[in-house]
Amino acid sequence: MPKHYRPPGKKKEGNAAKYITRTKAVNYLQISLATFRKLCILKGVFPRQPKKKVEGNHKTYYHMKDIAFLLHDPLIEKFREIKVHRKKVKKAIAKKNKDLADRLLNRPPTYKLDRLILERYPTFVDALRDLDDCLTMVHLFAALPAVDGERVEVKRIHNCRRLSHEWQAYISRTHSLRKTFISVKGIYYQAEVQGQKITWLTPHALQQVLTDDVDFNVMLTFLEFYETLLGFVNFKLYHSINVNYPPILDSRLEALAAELYALCRYMSAGSGGVTRNSESNRLIEDKKDENNKASSKTDESELRLAQLQHQLPTNEPGALMHLVEESSAADADDDDTKECKSLFKNLKFYLSREVPRESLLFIIPAFGGTVSWEGEGAPFNEVDEDITHQIVDRPTQSHVFLSREYVQPQWVYDCVNARVILPTEGYLVGRVPPPHLSPFVDNDAEGYIPEYAETISRLQAAARNQVLPLPGIGDEDLDNSLVEAMIDRTGSNENAEKKRKLEMLEKQYHDELKMEYEGITFSNLSNSRAENPPDAVEKDDTRSDHEEDANKQAEKDAADITKSLMSRKQRGLLEAIEIHKERKREKVEQLKKRKKNADSSAAKRR
Amino acid sequence: MGHNEGEHEQERDDLSADDSLWSDDVWSEGDEGSLSFEDSGEGSEAESDEPEEAAVESDSSEDEVAPKNTVGDVPLEWYKNEEHIGYDISGRKIKKRDREGRIEAYLRNADDAKNWRKIYDEYNDEEVQITKEEAKIISRMLKGKTPHTNVDPYPDYVDWFEYDDKGHPLSSAPEPKRRFVPSKWEQKKVVKLVRAIRNGWIKFDKPKEEPNFYHLWGDETDTADNKRQGLSYIPAPKPNLPGHEESYNPSVEYIPTQEEIDSYQLMYEEDRPKFIPRRFESLRSVPAYEKALREGFDRCLDLYLCPRTRKKRININPESLKPKLPSKKDLRPYPKTCYLEFKGHSAPVKSLSVEITGQWIASGSSDGTIRIWEVETGRCLKVWNVGGDVRHIAWNPAPDRPILAAIVDHDLLLLNVEVGSEEVQMKSKELLRIDESAPEDDADDKKPAVRWVKNEKLDGITLIHHKAVSNVDWHFKGDYFTTVVPSGDTRAVLLHQLSKKHSHHPFSKLPGLPVAAAFHPSQKMFFVATKKFVQVYDLQKAQLVKKLESGLREISSISIHPGGDNVIVGSKDGKLCWFDTDLSTRPYKTLKTHSKDITSVTFHRKYPLFASSSEDCSVYVFHGMVYSDLNQNPLIVPLEILRGHSSSDGRGVLDCKFHPKQPWLFTAGADSVIRLYCD
Repeated sequence: MPKHYRPPGKKKEGNAAKYITRTKAVNYLQISLATFRKLCILKGVFPRQPKKKVEGNHKTYYHMKDIAFLLHDPLIEKFREIKVHRKKVKKAIAKKNKDLADRLLNRPPTYKLDRLILERYPTFVDALRDLDDCLTMVHLFAALPAVDGERVEVKRIHNCRRLSHEWQAYISRTHSLRKTFISVKGIYYQAEVQGQKITWLTPHALQQVLTDDVDFNVMLTFLEFYETLLGFVNFKLYHSINVNYPPILDSRLEALAAELYALCRYMSAGSGGVTRNSESNRLIEDKKDENNKASSKTDESELRLAQLQHQLPTNEPGALMHLVEESSAADADDDDTKECKSLFKNLKFYLSREVPRESLLFIIPAFGGTVSWEGEGAPFNEVDEDITHQIVDRPTQSHVFLSREYVQPQWVYDCVNARVILPTEGYLVGRVPPPHLSPFVDNDAEGYIPEYAETISRLQAAARNQVLPLPGIGDEDLDNSLVEAMIDRTGSNENAEKKRKLEMLEKQYHDELKMEYEGITFSNLSNSRAENPPDAVEKDDTRSDHEEDANKQAEKDAADITKSLMSRKQRGLLEAIEIHKERKREKVEQLKKRKKNADSSAAKRR
Repeated sequence: MGHNEGEHEQERDDLSADDSLWSDDVWSEGDEGSLSFEDSGEGSEAESDEPEEAAVESDSSEDEVAPKNTVGDVPLEWYKNEEHIGYDISGRKIKKRDREGRIEAYLRNADDAKNWRKIYDEYNDEEVQITKEEAKIISRMLKGKTPHTNVDPYPDYVDWFEYDDKGHPLSSAPEPKRRFVPSKWEQKKVVKLVRAIRNGWIKFDKPKEEPNFYHLWGDETDTADNKRQGLSYIPAPKPNLPGHEESYNPSVEYIPTQEEIDSYQLMYEEDRPKFIPRRFESLRSVPAYEKALREGFDRCLDLYLCPRTRKKRININPESLKPKLPSKKDLRPYPKTCYLEFKGHSAPVKSLSVEITGQWIASGSSDGTIRIWEVETGRCLKVWNVGGDVRHIAWNPAPDRPILAAIVDHDLLLLNVEVGSEEVQMKSKELLRIDESAPEDDADDKKPAVRWVKNEKLDGITLIHHKAVSNVDWHFKGDYFTTVVPSGDTRAVLLHQLSKKHSHHPFSKLPGLPVAAAFHPSQKMFFVATKKFVQVYDLQKAQLVKKLESGLREISSISIHPGGDNVIVGSKDGKLCWFDTDLSTRPYKTLKTHSKDITSVTFHRKYPLFASSSEDCSVYVFHGMVYSDLNQNPLIVPLEILRGHSSSDGRGVLDCKFHPKQPWLFTAGADSVIRLYCD
């Protein structure tokens, strides 16, 4: 008799009724596994862990309600329609009915995912909360090679690229970028939109290779959903700042792969108001048409572009109104945004070749800077006298302007993370820059503070004092003491150790006094010592070592002694916690050791 | 007639005229003037075509040129005897020519060089001269060749009919009617299509692109609508954020050295770090991350394949897990520090025992000596060299009987310690006197379990057991004592009476090998510890009272609380069990304290203390309070871990005993030292 036998005719109960294995679910829905997979991805249905796995331990279980949820989705019918359509096309082709095949191919059954998005994310904040994976995926596909004949359609890659640029333009425009980090995997960004922290990863701007070890069907299904989601999110976000969506871009800039810049300009133009916007849109469109006609003459188009640039502000309802809006917007911003907005204020950047242009074009405006780059369509060129920083990676310069500083790209990222303008000495071209630290790590919780993090925190404190000379002196003191405390943590540790040693010695002295007090003891002790004096002498020699060991042992014993009374479960838990702590401590120890080794080797070299 | 003329011409022109002319003439004669004009027109260019034309025309020339004679195809012998040979076209008789004489003919032939080319035409009764070409043709025909030189007998085959895609040979069937009549079905189909098009079922233009995005979330004011339907949604955990080590330019301490990287190879694959930090000198030298796609895919798999459950993350302070214990200060006094060391043995001290007054201790070691020490001074009072491994030692608990029971090798030795007053010494000497009587058990076929033999050398008694003895324990009154012979089967636990020098074995059957036995401190009860159980017997009624189940792997020692209701048991897996016999037969508490075997457990007689010693060189001291109120469970508090003994041969502390009056603890170590711990 099987383990969970149920007499025929009796209804299932409990976990057996609530959960269903995947194979059974597929059969129940009468669809193929591939369709089931697709449906699960689009509907966001995931397996669940039943308390009791009735069908066996190695199976995947879905909740019956989830499966019913899939069953009632119109998408299932749509998928069947698509299947039938595919069969029809195949048949038409097989019968050489090219006419019919063409006609069918022209009108394939389509489905929309907007209803699903609303179902999965009933509020906009829900959607923002789950946006991390979406953004990472869209940015990843935007970096894939847009080549015909590959497994990913060119159209979709372009769509991903467009969506990612639109998102970045919004973030940049609203100054909601908070943290950036260049890792080996790519560049991480963290933005704060409507109170939600959204982190995403963009690959380095290099060609990605399509590997064989991934199932593109799965990824493309995810991407399908993510593209729609990001589209709707962008729509909502653009409308929240009064910009039309989808944006209409200057085709020339688009062609020059400066879409982000084009978008930014569009947004700054469009923020005047929607009604104005449509007008300007029309203008842009007109211009675009003209541009297309006259595309053979680049000079002419450049001229037009300049005109366009001049026209846009004049079309706006006047500089005054713009100012008013700016100020009102500033009021709405929180402190963080204000801080971010003014970080690179009054700084003008120029990007040389071989720097991650797209990333910097995104970051610098997000923190209030002005930026241009080497190449066509740039707002200003290298000889501009107002440029304060030129970002260079390769240390070969044809002409060096004394009025500006030549820094490596890492400087921008570090400034952004520290929220202060760092001194550029360490980042000058040709030098090895200081270590790039992750802004996502809580150094205190980790238990180890890298040297450069301390330097930065000192600089931050200094900058705060400089920027906000607070009336109360006490506050300043507090700040200082805080910083000092941070720096002197190691020192205090050492002090504590010393103190403990002293205490130990004192205790030993007291013990001896006590022994002396009881006369018998002393004689006994001397007796026993007399019995084997050489041993005693030896003991004296190694006494301090033993003492230390004994002390350590005593501490451990004191901790252990209560353990013997605990239940096995609690003891296990406690031991697990201790192991975790120990591992963490070991990690920190290793870091300290490596640091010490590196320092000593550096000193030797010097 | 044309023929005739041609002949004449040929005769006129002699034989120089070639066949072209001849054929031309044939044409011009046979047809209208217009044709002759054509002929003259093409004259020169027809030169090359002539042989061909001749070849074509030559066969038909005879058919087309009407013969002079019109008799038709009749046998000529019908006209043999006539003067004429036939009739010409106008119906006149054609006269036979005059026959030449033979000689004349011969002469003419001889004169004429072209004679061989002349042939007599019997039908027309005339001589015809064959042209050169004709002669050639004839000669070719004689040779069996084709008449004309330019006829190719083997031309390349040209297949004028295409068989490809036909499938079958051409049919000669007549065209069916349906090929000429408009199709009914086609008409129906057309009607259908037209209808479909008119009704808009078939559309030819591409579907219009609709705006894809709109204000999906609306105003978000209606809260009822904003609830997610169905089961509770468990959001997927977010991917881990990158740490310092993932930087393209990490701090030096995050980069592992080459040795460390090499050492990763020795690790198990699942332990090996997935990511090895590297440092790049500049941002432009950072390559594309080759696992980007793979990691994206893995994340996708996690999202749709991993079962999700809501897990409560316990964030507890480890200190809160530890039980609340009363302060140690309130539980004083208890042994804390080593106060004295008794040194003198040269081998591990296996056992020790404290005299009931607390003035003396006795210790037995595997160096073959038993020593008596004064507790307060640490002076060694006496040394007996018993010449064997002393395994266990027990002092008689009666204050007036300073007698020591020691297990030496296999047997039990009773010794007079000779401490105390004269009277006491005399009394004990009396007790240890034994009559050398012939053993009466000799009559038995079996070897007796015990023989009482006088030990002359040490002035005591040796109890020779049938098998090795492991344990000895005295009754609190000092007259009875028990020994345990683990391999003794039915005679495993023996009871002896000192005053009568008598022994017997009351327990015939035990559950497993006995390990230790002990008397109840105040009642007539007896405890036998086997490997897994503790049996409690009533000695008076001679029956089993209780069976305590320890749940341990192997019991090594037992101790009875002075009250008698509580028992502690030490095991070889380092666990200590406290039994409250009134409560249950199961342990009230099991303490996992030692990492190695527990060698001995002991209760204090006066203070609420107990201790356990172990092979891991540590001794645990506990506070074990037993309340007189039956509703209150015993309180157990671990107090102190005493260390100090060093390990030798993997053995640590072999025995521990409390002082009977003071809160002092004696421990016997494998390092041949006895230690005294005081508070």
